[in-house]
Amino acid sequence: MTDDLESKLRDALRPAAPSEDFDRQLLARLAATQREPTKLRGRYASRTTWWFSAALAATVVLAVGVQHHRAVEENREKGLEARRQVMQALRVTNDKLDLAYRAVRDQSGAVAGDPGA
Amino acid sequence: MDEQLAQARAGNLGAFSTLVQAHKRSVYSLALRMLGQPELAEDMAQEVFIQLHANLSSILSADHLAFWLRKVTAHRVIDYLRRRPTVSITSLDEEAEQMEPADPGDPLLQRQVRQLILGLSPDARAVVTLRYQEDLDPVDIARTLDMSINTVKSHLKRSLDLMRQRIESGEPPRCEGQSP
Repeated sequence: MTDDLESKLRDALRPAAPSEDFDRQLLARLAATQREPTKLRGRYASRTTWWFSAALAATVVLAVGVQHHRAVEENREKGLEARRQVMQALRVTNDKLDLAYRAVRDQSGAVAGDPGA
Repeated sequence: MDEQLAQARAGNLGAFSTLVQAHKRSVYSLALRMLGQPELAEDMAQEVFIQLHANLSSILSADHLAFWLRKVTAHRVIDYLRRRPTVSITSLDEEAEQMEPADPGDPLLQRQVRQLILGLSPDARAVVTLRYQEDLDPVDIARTLDMSINTVKSHLKRSLDLMRQRIESGEPPRCEGQSP
């Protein structure tokens, strides 16, 4: 029975020929496929250009950001320096006033203690 | 054939056409018996030859070419069937188109056997077609389909048992794994 089925299978599976258009269609598809590498190169090139532009834009944005950050830091440093200078000036003024106040107080004390005044 | 292969590798389209002429029946028939649809089989066979053209440099000899074509065709069809596992039943007109003018034997019986093959799983269809169309032994089938020899033998035995059972019971073909 198996031998019978095997012979039926061999009969049923004899190679068949494709249509007469097979070769022509194949050559047309082959020609179309061979044109694709150019398209792919074009697609690759445009993709590379896109990445290059994106990278350039990112670099510009980063540079502007860094520059802005530096300017802000510089202003902050200047502000702190001005504040230090003001504080220093206030401290000096305070010391001077203190000295003047003591001198006035000492003089006042001396006048008050002089019996002949 | 090795000379044609060398010329085709060098870019000679005429030599490539000669290789296509020599192998198109085998490639097309393998796809046709596994898919059951002539147009789809032609499309698949053309894709195989386009892939061959792109890979000619890797083909070492005429024997390797035949092996490569069978392997690529079978794997392409199996992948296709796994993605779209529908049972394809060809019409009688299409079946008549597939027949050779001088095809001996009983056409109805041949049609029945082909439909039984289409009722098998994709791997089993490939094993049976390579065995009975290409006349490959289980060792060569195993190499072609990247299967173990035991798996090939098991597919062959199960497929023959199933087909015999369906012939005897007069059961219509259905894809393996479908509920009765």
